[in-house]
Amino acid sequence: MAVTLTPPARARRVPDRHHRGVTRWIVLALVTAAALAMLVPFAFMLLNAFKSPGDYSTNGPLSWPSEFYTKGLRTYWEQVDFPVKLWNSTLIAGSVAVLAVLVSLFNAYALGVGRVRGRLWIIGLFLLANMLPQESLIYPLYHFAKEAGLYNTRLAVIIIFTVIQSAFGTYLLASVLGTFPRTLLEAAALDGAGKWRILWRVVLPNLRPTLSVLLVFFFIWTWNEFLIPLVMLIDNQTQTVPVALASLQGDRLMDAPTTNAGSLLSLVPAILFFLIFQRTLARGITAGAEK
Amino acid sequence: MQRLRRVAAAAVVAALAATGVTACGDDDGEGASGAKVLKLWHYESANSAMGVAWDKAIEIFKQEHPGVEVRFERKAFEQIQQNAGMIINSSEGPDVMEYNKGNATAGLLSSQGLLTDLTAQATKRGWDKALSPSLQTTARYSDKGVMGSGNWYGVPNYGEYVMVYYNKDLFTRYGVQVPTTLDEMTKAMDTFVGKGVTPLGTAGAEYPAGQLFYELALARADRAFVDNYQLYKNPVDFHADPLKYGADTFAEWVRKGYVSKNAASAKAEDMGTAFIAGKTPMIVSGSWWYGRFKSEIKFDWDTFLFPGNKLNAGSSGNIWVVPTSSKAKDLAYDFIDITMRPEVQALIGNNGGVPVVGDPAKISDAKDRKLIENFNAISAQDGLAFYPDWPVPGYYDVLVAGFQGLINQSKSPDQVLDAIAKPYQDGVAEIKRN
Repeated sequence: MAVTLTPPARARRVPDRHHRGVTRWIVLALVTAAALAMLVPFAFMLLNAFKSPGDYSTNGPLSWPSEFYTKGLRTYWEQVDFPVKLWNSTLIAGSVAVLAVLVSLFNAYALGVGRVRGRLWIIGLFLLANMLPQESLIYPLYHFAKEAGLYNTRLAVIIIFTVIQSAFGTYLLASVLGTFPRTLLEAAALDGAGKWRILWRVVLPNLRPTLSVLLVFFFIWTWNEFLIPLVMLIDNQTQTVPVALASLQGDRLMDAPTTNAGSLLSLVPAILFFLIFQRTLARGITAGAEK
Repeated sequence: MQRLRRVAAAAVVAALAATGVTACGDDDGEGASGAKVLKLWHYESANSAMGVAWDKAIEIFKQEHPGVEVRFERKAFEQIQQNAGMIINSSEGPDVMEYNKGNATAGLLSSQGLLTDLTAQATKRGWDKALSPSLQTTARYSDKGVMGSGNWYGVPNYGEYVMVYYNKDLFTRYGVQVPTTLDEMTKAMDTFVGKGVTPLGTAGAEYPAGQLFYELALARADRAFVDNYQLYKNPVDFHADPLKYGADTFAEWVRKGYVSKNAASAKAEDMGTAFIAGKTPMIVSGSWWYGRFKSEIKFDWDTFLFPGNKLNAGSSGNIWVVPTSSKAKDLAYDFIDITMRPEVQALIGNNGGVPVVGDPAKISDAKDRKLIENFNAISAQDGLAFYPDWPVPGYYDVLVAGFQGLINQSKSPDQVLDAIAKPYQDGVAEIKRN
């Protein structure tokens, strides 16, 4: 609105992209400050992960460690049997990421390209699964899992998160596919490709960047999930990393250095995963920009 | 976030309550003798007093039950706190586990029929004789799940109580004697204030402030008050002693500078680390700090009972329960019985914990011995008064809000008493209606 009302400001000099002067530096400074502010909690975590409990209690969380203390890391590793949790988390988050992307793709193909009647409502319904607080889902999920004999199995968690994540994936992909060039689909159909073939040979290659972004997101989101794994996985042999981290917190006492060490260990896999796929992520986000 | 999860857990438990009773008939392994596996859960860390002692108990159990496999798992407190109802309502649960005492936890599950009645075992194995009446309070629950009377559903193994921790070095430096009466305590604190030192550390954002208030109130209280307040025997008048005395004295202590105004927003951890760092001469808090202080404090420190009090905040620790779905009940009883034996109880004491049937003569360290002697003295004179937030669900947050107002002096003692009286009365009415 405002744009149409103001008279076109022709008089103003169009700034050259490379000579914006002071503003550029201010923006740079602000972005740097914001980036540093985001790193502060990580710095504290790192600082306190290598501090002995006595040192932490005496000198507080801000002090420099008086010795390089690695027992917290070792305690956490052994106490929670970290390799097992790591495997569980990787298995669950990995399966969910792959399965949820597949399910999202199928759903979105039907809704976005297939133009199912009332698809807006269907998508709305899917989104509901994402918007509902997990707390309200817990009891029904528990009950169904118990009836189906899946309570306390990793499969239960994989199924639940595949559904929850693919709800979001379906919503996103359906809108992307809604704008998929019809001509491309028609051309493929004229060449005699069936629905199945079109999906794999035409739609999938075009969606690949978006799908890999979804894959990364699903993996990280599922990795960080706490409540549903906490309720569903009661055996130490089936638990995930965030649940293991919670076991450090006692009734009335906490062990800040060990918790920090644990957080550090638990964060590393997610960061590694992100770094490996970081390139696909960046490519995916800009994928739509260069049409 | 933590609060949200608690609320969610409460909702889940409520939902369970609706359907739980019918569902729990699923697998009734009643007294299945000849079981070859004991599934055992607890949530004490491996190097804590209880962790060490119970490891020993498991070892003894294995020796006495060759051919039985013990499947022990250390759980997260959070997980048991939130999910116990769901876990033991399934066939995946343990045969014996540590669980939180109290109406909202063990009481609720017992009223839903999820816990095994241990009364016969308690009589047969003499647990009812070994435990003092105030320790038994948290072991027994009525059919409505209210603690204090009825059947045995749990067996406490360790105790806890609130006392005063003090920094001996600071006491010597300022020439302060260990007080034995409340008057001496205020005089001691005056000395510190005169030298510009805030004498008493507390934390308004968590349990310590409420417990300090309760200790002060208990200075004027008798057992009848505790029964009224905790077990609803008679209505409690919040604007009369002892509660009025507690709030007034608390406010006076704030006014005189015994307690820092900044403490309003402090957490228990802040209070503890300030004491460990040697910044506060005294804190009033529970025996759960003892082990940590012992391993982390470098200066000379000690404890004394809250001066002059016959009654002290404290109770049994968490309890052993046997889920109704347990497939090895007889083995579970045997295990609980082993944890009550002198050698296991002595291990709790020797590692900085408070055993329920501890023999001070078996404790080697002098400071540890004093901790246990003090507890035994309180327990013997029926002096455990439980905790101020126990009576009604959700009362913890009410107390925290109330005493924060008192510490930062935004509310008068009367206003605070009003604020904490109403939720109490509503809560008690709700419990009585059910």
